[in-house]
Amino acid sequence: MKVPSVIQIQFVALRRLLAETKEQFCFAIKNKLRRIFGWIMSFSLFSWLYRTIQNFLIKVLSVGPVPEHVSFIMDGNRRYAKSRKLPVKKGHEAGGLTLLTLLYICKRLGVRCVSAYAFSIENFNRPKEEVDTLMNLFTIKLDEFAKRANDYKDPLYGSKIRIVGDQSLLSPGMREKTAKVEEITKHGGDFTLYICFPYTSRNDILHTIQGSVQDCLQNKSQSKIDIKKFTNKMYMDFYSNKCELLIRTSGHRRLSDYMLWQVHENATIEFSDTLWPNFSFLAMYLMILKWSFFCTIQRYNERNHTLFERVYEGVPSILKRKKTSISLHQFPNPPISVSITGED
Amino acid sequence: MPTMIKKDDKTMDPPNEKPHKKIERDDIPESSNHIPPPEASVLRGGKINSKTRAMKAVTSIIVNTDEKPQKSSNKVDGAEKPETGHWSSNIGKFEYIFYKFLLVMLYICFGLLRYGQYQYNKMKLRIFSIIYNHAYTPQLIRQDVVSLKKIPKRLAAILEIKPVGDVGGGVTGLLNDASEIVCWTVSAGIKHLVLYDYDGLLQRNVPELRKEIHSNLAKYFGPSHVPNYAVKIPHSNKTFYNLDGIESETDSGEVVNGNDEGSGIAIEVSLLSNRDGRETIVDLTKTMAELCSVNELSVSDITMDLVDSELKQLVGPEPDLLLYFGPSLDLQGFPPWHIRLTEFYWEKDNNEVIYSVFIRGLRQYAGCKVNVGK
Repeated sequence: MKVPSVIQIQFVALRRLLAETKEQFCFAIKNKLRRIFGWIMSFSLFSWLYRTIQNFLIKVLSVGPVPEHVSFIMDGNRRYAKSRKLPVKKGHEAGGLTLLTLLYICKRLGVRCVSAYAFSIENFNRPKEEVDTLMNLFTIKLDEFAKRANDYKDPLYGSKIRIVGDQSLLSPGMREKTAKVEEITKHGGDFTLYICFPYTSRNDILHTIQGSVQDCLQNKSQSKIDIKKFTNKMYMDFYSNKCELLIRTSGHRRLSDYMLWQVHENATIEFSDTLWPNFSFLAMYLMILKWSFFCTIQRYNERNHTLFERVYEGVPSILKRKKTSISLHQFPNPPISVSITGED
Repeated sequence: MPTMIKKDDKTMDPPNEKPHKKIERDDIPESSNHIPPPEASVLRGGKINSKTRAMKAVTSIIVNTDEKPQKSSNKVDGAEKPETGHWSSNIGKFEYIFYKFLLVMLYICFGLLRYGQYQYNKMKLRIFSIIYNHAYTPQLIRQDVVSLKKIPKRLAAILEIKPVGDVGGGVTGLLNDASEIVCWTVSAGIKHLVLYDYDGLLQRNVPELRKEIHSNLAKYFGPSHVPNYAVKIPHSNKTFYNLDGIESETDSGEVVNGNDEGSGIAIEVSLLSNRDGRETIVDLTKTMAELCSVNELSVSDITMDLVDSELKQLVGPEPDLLLYFGPSLDLQGFPPWHIRLTEFYWEKDNNEVIYSVFIRGLRQYAGCKVNVGK
């Protein structure tokens, strides 16, 4: 069936108009709501209530299955700053704050490892001031993290920080700093935070190729490379193999050279339209809840079904219309067939 | 370094001497051993994913107090992970069960909402399939595409085999889906198409695929105007032209005119499988290690450009848009090197290869902005 083109054009125009106004409308509403929310939160009673509910929800979810490795692509800091007419730096600061809150939540949920895409190698193409600002901000944040990880009163106590990526692109001063932070926090075990700072996944793979080749040359043990060993040599040690949940904010539906190796097999990739600084507790909670829900069912199915059954029995979906097979003999008999010529 | 590339190809892919009626490889398992991410695996449907089973699964977690991850696939063998009991230390047994109970409630609420969303999405998809309909007419597809600002240069699609008893199931269904996508792509004016399936079933059924593409193209364009097409298997470095055109081994990935010199090739279809993903990268590493050990290559020569050009040679260039026709994005081991900036498109809760996904994917691509690093 073909819809006439006139009607189709109407459709398209209407859709566009709707989309535009809807976006603006949503934005305005959200801003208003956020302001009201902020105002309500300024009462200590409500903020206490909010915190209690949040804690409670976290505790509930943490008794179920939780992903081991959660990864964030923190996109949208600059757009956030622009939309609020703030300097770019403020946007990045707000982003850092969001990461910190989400880290607390992840840690309390029982996530073992969080990685965050802080700076891509391609980001060196940005204007110099911005790169410098980012670097400065990064060092400040890093110190803060290190301090928190060593402060036993802080929820982040006992976490390990690793800065991964092509360190040769950093200035010597930066390298010293990152090494120091890694050194301070290396005894942490419960929770690992990987900060990908100048990182791209292709660079990671290339680095691993080089490392493997070098190893081969030294040990003279050729053709011993397999996928497992290769993976173990990657930047993120034993979390390199898989990242269960990758979250990308701000609406783009691509990976932008991040976690290609980890994500391309069986990771859940969630794309969210909110900008990173606006990415809230609830949004992440729902994503993890979704993962957890489906994971429970998947594990149950795995436990109770053999591979054979899974492959050969998983036929039609119950949610689709049921297709029943019927044999011809089950039909009622047709009326008598009579020819017009009157013959038998 | 053209010499090295040649050498690589030789060492990595010994030319297949078998007659090409059926390309068989032992390293491909018969059935899929891919473990999809949770959501995709559950939404795929099937008898084991019925509502009652989901309910059972959800409630069973109350009983299973010693819930341990069944397959901690994150743990690479040989590596030790710090072991911590983060729960047992600070929570009482009663409290634990209480929270589990609440979790089940939460799951049930979520499940109900998700079911509502599922039905809503299904309805949306039905409406889309009315709005976007190709009616087996290439002109209409082209008309849909012409209004877009840009189209991708290379399109990729992940296909998966459905159970044999299902509508559009089995290898035939897969081939049919593949050829449908080929027809849409030709009509849209995109010259390169990458078809990926985890098990390499398409690669193993090339003659059937060519036949299917031919008959489908004939359906769209009429039997006398079937566009020229080339089917390429980068893994074994083979290219097949049209239905019965001669097969040739090309060195480069570019489209070469086949037996029909006058008109060019309208579409080049590359067939990829899981084999072209991680394994190829590891194979490349092995080859490089070998070359390094005989001093034909030094470690400092291994650069991004070299690896990239090698992988382009072995697998093909990076696609611009990746379409997935399943309910929830599942990359299924698509070559990792090649999805760097690729846009993804899939429709939530869709489980069929339908035209609306194709055209809406192109629409999304037309609206997207790529800014590397900026």
